[in-house]
Parts: sequence; structure tokens; C-alpha cells
Amino acid sequence: MKYIGIILLAWLSIQNQASQDLYACKNVKIDLFSSAPIEDIKASTTSGTSVYNAATGDIAFSVAISSFQFAKSRMQEHFNENYMESDKYPRASFKGKVQERIDITKNGTYPITVTGNLDVHGVIRPRTIQGTVTIANGAVSMASEFMVKCVDHKIDIPQLVFKNIAESIKMNVSATYTAAK
Amino acid sequence: MKKFASFLLITAISTSLWAQTKPAADTTATDSLMNALNKSEPKDEPVIATFKSTRLILGSTTETVKKNNLNFLVIHRFGDLAGSQGGGKTFFGLDNSSDIYIGFEYGVSNNLDILFGRSKFAQQIDLGLKYAVLHQTSDNSSPIAITLLGKAGVKAYTDDIAFPTFGDRFAYVGQAIIARKFSSAFSLQISPTFVRHNSVFPYVFGNEKDMFALGVAGRLKVNKRMAIVVDYAHPFSSFRNNATGADAFYDPLGVGLEIETGGHVFTIVFSNAKAISESSYLANTQSDWGKGQFRLGFTISRMFSFNKDKKDKKY
Repeated sequence: MKYIGIILLAWLSIQNQASQDLYACKNVKIDLFSSAPIEDIKASTTSGTSVYNAATGDIAFSVAISSFQFAKSRMQEHFNENYMESDKYPRASFKGKVQERIDITKNGTYPITVTGNLDVHGVIRPRTIQGTVTIANGAVSMASEFMVKCVDHKIDIPQLVFKNIAESIKMNVSATYTAAK
Repeated sequence: MKKFASFLLITAISTSLWAQTKPAADTTATDSLMNALNKSEPKDEPVIATFKSTRLILGSTTETVKKNNLNFLVIHRFGDLAGSQGGGKTFFGLDNSSDIYIGFEYGVSNNLDILFGRSKFAQQIDLGLKYAVLHQTSDNSSPIAITLLGKAGVKAYTDDIAFPTFGDRFAYVGQAIIARKFSSAFSLQISPTFVRHNSVFPYVFGNEKDMFALGVAGRLKVNKRMAIVVDYAHPFSSFRNNATGADAFYDPLGVGLEIETGGHVFTIVFSNAKAISESSYLANTQSDWGKGQFRLGFTISRMFSFNKDKKDKKY
């Protein structure tokens, strides 16, 4: 009887621990930037979502393409309609694993390597992306900068407007997590 | 106490084993949390790009110029391609221009535009307001988009017989544009219209000052950059229905190809309507497709943005 109680307690503590290691962020900031001969392309969103499992290193990001805001509304329309086809592929996502073990009880900034699959425009590419994790008194935040090549994700750039658009886009992602229940 | 410590040890081992042998369970936890996070997002997003330009061929579309953007329009209609006024002697109408329209449309907000334009036809100066009342949404909670258009035009040219007072020079157009994007390639709109000319236009005995008209227009994308556009209107006017022979009126009909580049939209059209302003082409289209009285025309729409992003501009 006592054993069962202890085993149950142990099992519960595992369960509890597992859920405590889950971190979520509902307002991931994502910036995209590309420099082109005629005009720079710049957009940002703060409505990305992310989940990080500190115990296993699993990490996932997702963002609605239509949430990216451009200064030029026509550029935003083109981005959604002609390039990203957000009616067909409404979200871009990344799912992977942090290679390093991060001790979330120790304050500091740690470089991390994340390997996983990046899904943009319906094309999934395996990627290894560098980033940093910052732990400050239990608060977990992440930042990363990486490039996305348009050809890799079958994002067509018509010859007619090729001067306007760069072939690769620089992405900046930053997320501050809170513990999920 | 020892027992308890050993159990702790077992617990710790089992925890690490759990983590190593059953990562699938944790992945599911990550996934389900991710799904929960994304489910809370609204799905009733407004449908964008029902049309690519604020004007299709003849009439206006439900699209508005967004806040702090300025749409500059140059619309041109050449002379009759064939028929008595066309053919080789006018190089198929290219030597003539039946109407030239220069227009500016400024977005006060994302839904409200101020319109200004001048036509060669009747030398009319138009001032108008366009307001997007309703947007189509992706979840079909609103299956259509509705935009209201109001325009006042003044004919500046000298004609003392037709315009005894200054007030007689005015013409008004009120329009409700109702559109639906059926698929990413096909959009259709109908636009019930009311037209008033303070002095009958054209200035012919028996003509009516007020009339209703109905416009139907569609856009079919052939690829990412190009679309086939059709624009038709029917004025409900017994005077126009009964006019025959040389005085006959015809329903304006335009067909064209719309090409979109980065900041421009070009439309190359054939249309029997000579005029570009709504009040003029609805009231005064006397050219017949069947007689070769249609013309080549084009629309150039260039969008300028005044939103603050100056630092990034390179020119």
C-alpha cells in the first residue's frame, strides 16, 4: 500500500515535472528583411507562437503569413497573394530540437544550435539554425537570425520585377517564454 | 529513510529513462500545446485582393486605396478602331483620343478614399468619396464586400445652351459596389448605380436627368501576374432604349487584360464606351461594338506610399 502511494507520488512528480518544463510564447516577434536595388523589403509581426520543452529540447514555432505588417500596403498584398500565397499556405512553421541541454535554473546567455524542419510556402526544408537562449531568473527567451532562400521554398520571383526582390530573406526571431500549465 | 532514498533514486532513474525512451510523449505535449495556441487565433480574416486596382475597366471596384497611399491613375481611350471613324486613315483609332483621364485617389483611412480626377470628355472634373462598408471574410461570416461610391462632377466646357446656370453643369453618381472573390482566381461584382445630370446629357429633347444603371464586372486570373477583366453596364432608361438609328445608345462593354508588376497595374482594354467618368459613359455611350466603334484603351495605376519608412528608401 505504502509502495503504491510512493510510486504514485513519484509518477505524479514526473508528470508534474514534464509539464513544468513546457514553455510557451504567444507573441513571438519575427522580422523579415531583404535589401534590393530599388527598395528594401521589411515586415514584422508580433503574433507568432512558440513552444519550448526544456526537458527534451523540442521546440516549435508557427506564424500566420498574413500577420506580417509592411509599411507599404501594396507590398503586403503582393507578399500574401503572389509570393507566399497565404490563402493556400496560411502559416509558416518550424519544428525541431535544441541540440544543447540548457539548464533553466542557471542565469546566462547560451548559444544554441537547433536542427529541424522549416515549413515555408508549403515546402519543408531540413535546417540547422543558430541562436541564443537567455535565462534570467527562470524567464526563458530566445533569439535567432537566419536566412531563407526564396528558391528553397519555391517562392517564384517573376523576371518582370526581379530587381525589386532579393533572392534571400533575412529573418529575425525573438521570443520570451512563460511556463505553460 | 534508506528505503525512501532508494525510491528517490529509482524515481530519478525512471525519470531519465522516461525522457530517453519516450520522447514521443513529450513531442505530443509540445504539439498539442502548439495546436492549442494556434487555435485561439481568429479565422475571420478579411479577404484581400478581390481586385488588383481601384478601377477595373469602366467602373470602380470594391478595392480602396489604403491609408496614406496615393493612387495615381492615367486612363486613356483612343478613337474608333474600325467603322467610319476608324481604319487605316486614323491608324485604327490611335490618332484620336476620345477620352483621357488623370486621377488621384488618396486613402484617408484603409476604408475611406478621397477621389479627384479630370476627363477630357466634357472636360469634366470629378470629386468623390469611396467607403468600404463591408469586407468579405475568409470564414464566409461575411460572404461579400460592399463599397459605396459617391461622385460629383462639373462639366467645365463652354456650352451656354446646355448650361444656362452653373448648377446645370453638375452630374452626380451614387453607387453601391458588391463583390465576391469566389476563388483565388475569380472575382465578380455588381454595382447598382444612380446617375443624375442637372442638365440632360447628352443635350437632346426627351432625355432624362435621372436614371438607374447596373454594372457587372469580373476578373479571372490566368497566372500570378495577369488576369482577364470584363466590365459591362446597362443603363435603365426608356429614352435610351427607344432611341434608334444614328441616335441609338448602346450598353458600355469593355474587355481587357490586366497586368500587375511591382508597383503598377496596367490594363489594356477594348471598349465601346468613349468616356471614362461614370456619369458620362453611363449616360452617353453611342458607339456600337457591331459597327467597329470600339477602341483600344489603357489604364495605368501607380501606388505611392506615404507611410513612414523613409530610412529604407534608396532613391
